[in-house]
Amino acid sequence: MHIGTGLVCGAKIKDMVQAGFHFIIFLADWHSMINNKYGGDMEKIETAGEYFKHCFTALGLTEDKVEYVWASELASKPNYWERVIRIAKTTTAQRAMRSLPIMGRDMKTQDVETASLFYPCMQAADIFEMNLDVACAGIDQRKAHVLAREAGDKLRWEKPVALHTPMLMGLAGIQRSDKGSYDEDPKLSSVIAAKMSKSKPENTILLHDSPEIIEDKLRKAYCPPKIVEENPVIEYYSLLAFRANNPVTLDRDQKYGGDLKFSTYKELEEAYKTGEIHPQDLKANMARILADLLRGVREYFDKHPEPLAQMQRLETR
Amino acid sequence: MNQEQRLELVTKGTVEIIQPAELQRVLEQKKKPRAYWGFECSGKQPS
Repeated sequence: MHIGTGLVCGAKIKDMVQAGFHFIIFLADWHSMINNKYGGDMEKIETAGEYFKHCFTALGLTEDKVEYVWASELASKPNYWERVIRIAKTTTAQRAMRSLPIMGRDMKTQDVETASLFYPCMQAADIFEMNLDVACAGIDQRKAHVLAREAGDKLRWEKPVALHTPMLMGLAGIQRSDKGSYDEDPKLSSVIAAKMSKSKPENTILLHDSPEIIEDKLRKAYCPPKIVEENPVIEYYSLLAFRANNPVTLDRDQKYGGDLKFSTYKELEEAYKTGEIHPQDLKANMARILADLLRGVREYFDKHPEPLAQMQRLETR
Repeated sequence: MNQEQRLELVTKGTVEIIQPAELQRVLEQKKKPRAYWGFECSGKQPS
């Protein structure tokens, strides 16, 4: 699991639990199979799902705080597929094709499997099946939620509120060369294209990466001096380091000016724009901050090594 | 936690809410509202 899922989604889920929601973490095994994860091998997908459950538990989202539900539980209920069909009747195949970005795929993909057209309908059906007031996701899922809300209006089922978090940028930043089409809005399209994703390991920091690995990955990250736009390291300060609204200190050698303390993200951003902070110091400190944020996860997997070992066996096969 | 703090906590760090007025109604009317987050289960394998 990468830090986008663990730290951005994870933090938001914790907020919702604290705000008194009954929160469901939904392990979409069927959807993973449709999206060809592990070549559609349900056994491997289930192993990955269990690992995800352990990751969320490691982050503090234990089974007493959230409910874990598998897609296959819903899929075996008698009326689930009727729901999917009723939703499918409220929308067109063309619209379902334009929803491919929710599967991480380009809207203009040719030769799409028919099953991929069921995917957004299933995502909508899941929401109504679980009787939800609020559906949460990264902004890349917005097409599924808009489709679900429209289906709700047409079928007179109570539609959910949609709540969307930002995508965490991969370590390489936004690649202008990626001509992928992930939304009608070109800005959102490039944000979705640049997201941290496990399919690009060098672009991704994993929850259980050692502090040394985190430091190494950040050292190679895109981080132009004085530029904050489309700078992933700066974004990590905004979305992760300052999330708790506490001041952040950048440790810095005395010979380069000594430590810098910032009460808000804006202060750090301004200092970086003037060149007061060197990219090297920005990166080294983010590595330290991330290692701290993830210490609990490493400790958890030290105590429960088996689910992580199972995942690593899957990866090498 | 009062209603205002609750709303602030729920909307913290989000980039889009469809629609804010509906969310407010959910928080006002439901003591234990229901929410979810769905995840595909996969590792480093490219899709």
